[in-house]
Order: sequence, then C-alpha cells, then structure tokens
Amino acid sequence: MPALVRVVDLVKDYHMGDVTVNVLKGLTLSFEEGDFVALMGPSGSGKSTLMNILGCLDRPTRGHYYLRNRDVSGMTDDELSEVRSGYLGFIFQAYNLLPQYTVVENIELPLVYQGIPLDATTKARCVALAEMVGLGERLDHRPLQLSGGQQQRVAIARSLVNDPQLILADEPTGNLDSRTSVEIMQMLTGLNRAGKTIIMVTHENDIAEWARRVIRLRDGRVESDVRNDTKALAEVG
Amino acid sequence: MRSLLPGTKLRRSLALAVRSLWLRKLRAALSVLGIVIGTSAVIALMAFGKGSMQDALNDIKKQGTNIIVRSVKPSDDSSTSSRAFVAAYGLKQSDLERFSTFGDSISRVVPMRVFASEVRYLERMYNGRLVGTTAEYADVNNLVLARGRFLTDEDDRNLSNTCVLGAGVADKLFPFEDPVGKSVQLRGHRFLVVGVTADRTPTGGTGGSQAVEDFNGDIYIPFNTCRARVGETVLIRSAGSRSGERVQLSQVVLTIDADFETSEGRQKVKALGEAVKQMLREDHPKDDWAVTVPLDRLEDAEIQQERFTRLLVLIASISLFVGGIGIMNIMLATVTERTREVGIRRALGAKRKDIVMQFLVEAVVQTTVGGLAGVVVGLATVFGVPPLWKLVTGANLPAVLSYWSILLSVGVSVLVGVVFGLYPAWRAARLDPIEALRHT
Repeated sequence: MPALVRVVDLVKDYHMGDVTVNVLKGLTLSFEEGDFVALMGPSGSGKSTLMNILGCLDRPTRGHYYLRNRDVSGMTDDELSEVRSGYLGFIFQAYNLLPQYTVVENIELPLVYQGIPLDATTKARCVALAEMVGLGERLDHRPLQLSGGQQQRVAIARSLVNDPQLILADEPTGNLDSRTSVEIMQMLTGLNRAGKTIIMVTHENDIAEWARRVIRLRDGRVESDVRNDTKALAEVG
Repeated sequence: MRSLLPGTKLRRSLALAVRSLWLRKLRAALSVLGIVIGTSAVIALMAFGKGSMQDALNDIKKQGTNIIVRSVKPSDDSSTSSRAFVAAYGLKQSDLERFSTFGDSISRVVPMRVFASEVRYLERMYNGRLVGTTAEYADVNNLVLARGRFLTDEDDRNLSNTCVLGAGVADKLFPFEDPVGKSVQLRGHRFLVVGVTADRTPTGGTGGSQAVEDFNGDIYIPFNTCRARVGETVLIRSAGSRSGERVQLSQVVLTIDADFETSEGRQKVKALGEAVKQMLREDHPKDDWAVTVPLDRLEDAEIQQERFTRLLVLIASISLFVGGIGIMNIMLATVTERTREVGIRRALGAKRKDIVMQFLVEAVVQTTVGGLAGVVVGLATVFGVPPLWKLVTGANLPAVLSYWSILLSVGVSVLVGVVFGLYPAWRAARLDPIEALRHT
C-alpha cells in the first residue's frame, strides 16, 4: 500500500531567547492509507509538535513532510491553508466549534474556506453529516446548547465535510467521560473502516487500544511503534 | 434561522459579521456611538451653518447687480467749511446724466436725495428721513407696500406733491386712521399720502461702506418734486449749531443688466463698478463720493461661508476620527477575545486574507450602521430642532440641508471603518494558528 503520509528526518527546533530546544530530533515515519494511528508519549515528547506539522499548522525546521508525495514542508502560508482546507480534517480536544454558529453552519465552515459557494447541495450534505453523527434533530442548535459528546460529534461531522484524506484528532476524548469516549471512538473506528486515515494523539492506553498502530514518542524520537494485533485480529474475526 | 440558500460570498460575510456583532450588541452599539455622533454632527452643523449664511447671503443678493454710488462729505475740507458754512459736495445732476452714457448694460439708474426732515399731520410730528427718488426705487429695494401705491414716473414728471410713508412714520402720524388720501406737512408744503410701505427690516451692518439703515422712518417723495420744493441747500440744525449742505444727489443706485450667478455677469458688474469709480475720480477731485459694489460683499460672504463650512467639516472630521479610534480600540479587544476563533478558522483552511476580510467587514459594518444611524439623528436634528428653537426662544434657526453632506458623512463612516479596522484585522491575521488555538 502506498504511504499517504511520509516524514523524513523531521527536525523541529524552538528558539526561546538564546536557548534552542530540539523538540523533534530527526523523525522518520510513514503512515499508510486507511491506517488508524495513535500517537502517545509524555508531555514534551514532541507529539503535539508532530501533530502541528502533520496538520500543516507548523513547518519543520529541517526535513521533509510528504503528503501524498507532495512535499508540503516548504510551502507558503497560503498554500498550507489550501492543503488544510482540501486534504485535512481536524478534531480537537476542546471541540472548537464557533459559538455564534448553528450545528449546520459549523459543519459548513470548512467549505467556506474552500471557496465553495453554499447552496442547497452543500446544505444537504451538511445535514446528512449531522444525521450521520446522530444530530439530525439538532441542526439549528448552537454549540452551547449541546453536551460535550454532542459537540465532539459536530466536530467530527465538520472534519468530514471536505472529504479529507487525513483526519487529525488531538485527544478527541480528553474532555469526555468514559461512556461518551467509547461512543466517539466507535464513531472514529467506523470512519476508519470506511477508509479514512486517522492519526490521533492520546495519552490514555484504553483509547490507544482502538487504533491499529500505536507509536510512542520520547524526547523527539520514536520510542516504540507497535501494530495492535488484537485489533487487527478482531477485525479479521 | 437564516437560510443558507443561494447567496453571494459578500452577502454571507455581511450576514456573519452582523451575527458576530449581535453576540455583543451593547459593546457594538457603544463603540459606534462616536461614529453616530460624528455623522449627525456633520449633517446638523452643515445644515445650520448653511442656513444662517444663506440668510445673510440673501440679504446681499437682493442687491444683486447693483452698484451704489453715494455722496460723502469730504473729511479734509477745512479751507471751504471754515468760511462758508454751507458745504457743497457730492454727486451732481451732471453725474447722473453721465451714468446713462454707460450704455445698455445699465438697466436702471435710481437717484436719491436723502436728508433728515420732520413731517407733521395735525398736531402730530415725526423726525424722519426724507427720500426724494424715482418710481424704480421700489424695484431696486424690493419694496413691499402695505397700502396704496408707490411713487410713479407721472408723479415725478408732474412735480406732484405726493409721498409714500414708511411703516414707522405712518404708525406715529396715523395711529388710528388710514393715511392714504390724507395730507402731511413737509418743509412747509402739503403732500398727499398715496401709499405706506410694509415693515422693512433694517439692513444688517454687513460691513463695508454700507451701514445699518432703518427704512421705517423714511418718507418718499418724487425726485423732481424734491429738487423743486427743497432746492439744493439743506439746513441742518444740530446741538445748537447750524450747518448747511448743498448736495444735489445723496445716492445713485445703478442696476446692471447681468446675471450675478455667472462669473461673466460678475465680471461685468465689477468692470462697470471700476468704470464708475474711474469716471468719478476724474470729475471729483475732492474725493466726495464712495462706490459700493454689493457683489464684492457677496463674494466676501461666500468666501466666509466656504471657510465656515470648512471649519465645521474639520470639527466634524475630528469627531469622526475620534469615533474611528473607538472602533479600533474595540476591534483590538475583539480580536484578542476571539483569538481562539481565529485559530479554529485558520485550522479549517482560512487564509490570512480571509481573516483580514472577516474583521474588516465587521468594522465596516459597524461604522456604516453607525453612519446611517447618524444620518437619522442628523436629519431629526435638522428638522426637529428649528421648530423647538422657535417655540422656546422665539427666534428663527434657519437650516438648509445639503444632500452631499449626507453622502459625505456616510462615505467617511465607511472609510473610517476600513482605515481603523485594518490594523486590528491585520493583527488577527498575523496570529500564529497554533498559539491562537491554545488561547483560552
């Protein structure tokens, strides 16, 4: 299977005054299409930095990041914006919905920045996504009228609206209770089965178990990279 | 719920801007208050300014294309006045004839002889101002009659003893009866009253050589009658001393056939004014005359109005500028407050220019709404205050609404939004998406 995402000798340095902090120290990783990867590691291990670079929100100091064979590491700010809006979907720990917009409008938002005119077709698509995540009854609600789990489901719907090649989930269950977490993870697993590639940051082992592959980082390097065989087996069975 | 059916990008961003502002209604309202005040100030100040200037201009415009030539007692006439106590000076009958040689350009020549005189009716007496003039005087001065008629050319030709009384004179001499048809005593002659003028407001002392004049004490008699009955020497008694004056003509008003609204017309009037001065300079070495061209005062007044208007606009611009700073202040606070929103939008694919547009549109929507509200307040002031003012103070507060002031002030409001919204919008766009997402 071709690698959807490839990072080669990825280095990220932060300059804090005179001190230079090496956060990523030459990471080389590749993620295949259709994979579901959990990134783990203690704070300071570089997992957030890696996620930011994978999400095209940040650029590496050195090294390359190939997204479907396109090197995005040297792109301009505007080009990165286009990559985000065209190929990536984001799910955040804090849901990050806009409070002034309704459920449907929040789901539409990425389309606005793709320059797609909003019409009946796009609206129907957003409504369908809202129904898919079980919020068909709450299309006109504002985020503050929804529970945390419901908000995260809106965020999942939003991450899908541009039909992304890669979904980046940054501790998607971090703010949720265990029962709701399971619901969300089931939803992500379902998306993965439907072919979506997902990279997820988490620090909870039971959440990581939902993934097919678990990568642990420490001090800016890969500490372990394990295929979750039980998961793969369960699927086969 | 807003429908998301077909709509242009602009309409959508406007709608979203309104929605974002609606979340913080009070703040948005307070922040545009400066713009509202500024805009309404522009409109109201310009209307009142223009109104009051228009009043003054209209006074002068009545004199439009006239040239006023007056006799002036020479100041350094010591050699003659010490010997002869009758001072002879001023415009002569011959001057009057020469004015008509200026040709067709002069459509009217109205001579006047003016001197103080008492007028009696039975036992009542009034110290008025006797004015010997021709029928055209009424036209030149836009005279309105309350009763009867003004003097006619026929009165002049026949040297008839007819007179027209000013409103004040008529009031004093005939408090109870209709003066028309009665005879009054003037310098030992009986004059038949043929008309009474309406109350004339005194001309304001607009400066220059035309002083304040009160016309209500005037008694008008035909010019030729005046020459025949009164002669050329007028005796004046003042503070125990006597002096005499021999003045053939006190004043001549020349009306030029020209349109003073056009620059050619104005040139013509000015050129004739110069010609008249030149002529008098040659004939009157004693410097006993003065030429007033009201048009000059009109131009002065117009320049003054322009200056005044500019000053008002300046003041109003300052208030709009201050309003703009208010907007900028609030927008900066808004950007800080919505840092996270900026991060979210950037993560979802917004480019820097999208963020700039978003905040710029919000700022412009605010100032535009503020500007329109200011127009409403301004119009309410222009139309609402004068009646109230009249009710309370009894005085007129003239207001002339200029439509371009509305366009200008709304235009400037929009511009203020762009100018003062740009920096906050730029700040928002420069935010690092990662930092912005981390912001709480």
